[in-house]
Amino acid sequence: MSTAPTETTRRIGSRGRDYGYSNARIRGMRSRLLKQAFFDDLMTAPDIGAVIHKIMDTEYGPDLEDRILHGRTATQVDEALKDNMVRTFAKVMSVSNDEARRLLTTLLGRWDLFNIKTIIRGKHMSFPDEVIIDSLITVGQLTQVDAEELAKQESVKSVVDTLATWGLPFAVPLREVLPDYNENADLSVLELALDRYYYEWAVRRLKGRRANNRLARTFLSIQVDTLNLLTCLRLLSSDLPPEDVLRFFLPGGDRVTEELFASLSAMSDVDEVFQRLKRTPFGSILEQVAITYIEKGSISVFERALEDYLFRKAFATSKGDPLGIGISISYLWAKANEVTNMRIVVKGIAVGMPVERMREELIVV
Amino acid sequence: MIKNKLAKVVFGSTFLTAVMVPAMAMAAESGTSVADLDPAVGVAKYAAAGASMCIAAMSAAYAQSRIGAAGAGTLAERPEAGTTLIVLMALPEVIVLLGFVIAFMIQA
Repeated sequence: MSTAPTETTRRIGSRGRDYGYSNARIRGMRSRLLKQAFFDDLMTAPDIGAVIHKIMDTEYGPDLEDRILHGRTATQVDEALKDNMVRTFAKVMSVSNDEARRLLTTLLGRWDLFNIKTIIRGKHMSFPDEVIIDSLITVGQLTQVDAEELAKQESVKSVVDTLATWGLPFAVPLREVLPDYNENADLSVLELALDRYYYEWAVRRLKGRRANNRLARTFLSIQVDTLNLLTCLRLLSSDLPPEDVLRFFLPGGDRVTEELFASLSAMSDVDEVFQRLKRTPFGSILEQVAITYIEKGSISVFERALEDYLFRKAFATSKGDPLGIGISISYLWAKANEVTNMRIVVKGIAVGMPVERMREELIVV
Repeated sequence: MIKNKLAKVVFGSTFLTAVMVPAMAMAAESGTSVADLDPAVGVAKYAAAGASMCIAAMSAAYAQSRIGAAGAGTLAERPEAGTTLIVLMALPEVIVLLGFVIAFMIQA
């Protein structure tokens, strides 16, 4: 398969592999990312009105202006933040050259995956269409109109049928496992099929000996490794037989191999996992949050630590070739991180969350 | 790949022109007056001077095209960096000046 899973339109942009123009623009955009001091200031805002006032002077101002016409609420600010993120990602894609666009489309396919999974989950749980639409972030190839149309379908089957009608490749794995889902109403069957399909496709698409392909592939493999590791931690107390455990393994990782995945999942507790992973980059990450895990007893602590690790790796991609894909990857992930942090602060202020708690929730600044 | 090859060819040609051709021309005329020169040597000197100027100018153009593309990107996002960009755009002109000096030395 040579096209993106949800590629529906052809975009116009520069050709070839010249990163001079696009990387200069992206560096310029990166210089406008918000600093730690801004977040410190924003968190001390007394109410949502003050938040709107502070945000109005930033890059988010124009998006916020459009949204607050519908009301000066936290929901509208949240929508404005998402609008800005969608617009920024589209801008990066529009200034990128052919090679960068292909690589970024592949990596951003995870957002299409996220959106389709969100829609399917929403339909499975019979959530209202508006709730599903509010949860979508259409920064991949799936447009807002497409995503809303999917969210308005009546059932999971209708969503899959619509994807197939549009000729989107994500329909292929879903159609294969739809009978299983209909029989058992097990959502994980659909999600697993989507995950496997996307990562297999992405690994194939990022093959190549060029430095940019290698960088994108390495970053994808880190994503897969963190996902596999998280699955292992979740499976620790599941008592599933090994053959069932391997059903959850995602291909495309580098450090977490199928054997390691199986052996980690068979372990009895988190301590054993620490010992096994001690000599890998994940050992120190998990060890750092081990005490927090003991205090809270929640696997979300590891989820958060691995997410932080992934973001740091994404930011580090810009430290290599100044005329390579790393600049774009780093910026897009930094932007996503910034929007996530802004949304946390906005929601935190709206519900009266203490500043310290908000600070803990922020990912990486 | 093509661009890399082009860059190597341009760099190699410039190097040869800048170092080898003047040396050859000077070696040819050492110990002789201008009046005693073989006409072929005179033609070679003109060709060398022309090549020196031409290749230096092409190299500068190549460098400026890369800087210009990046500069246009920077200006689109940060117009305040305009002055710095003009300086950066002007830097490759030194290559042309060097080519000119070499051409002049060959001719002299």
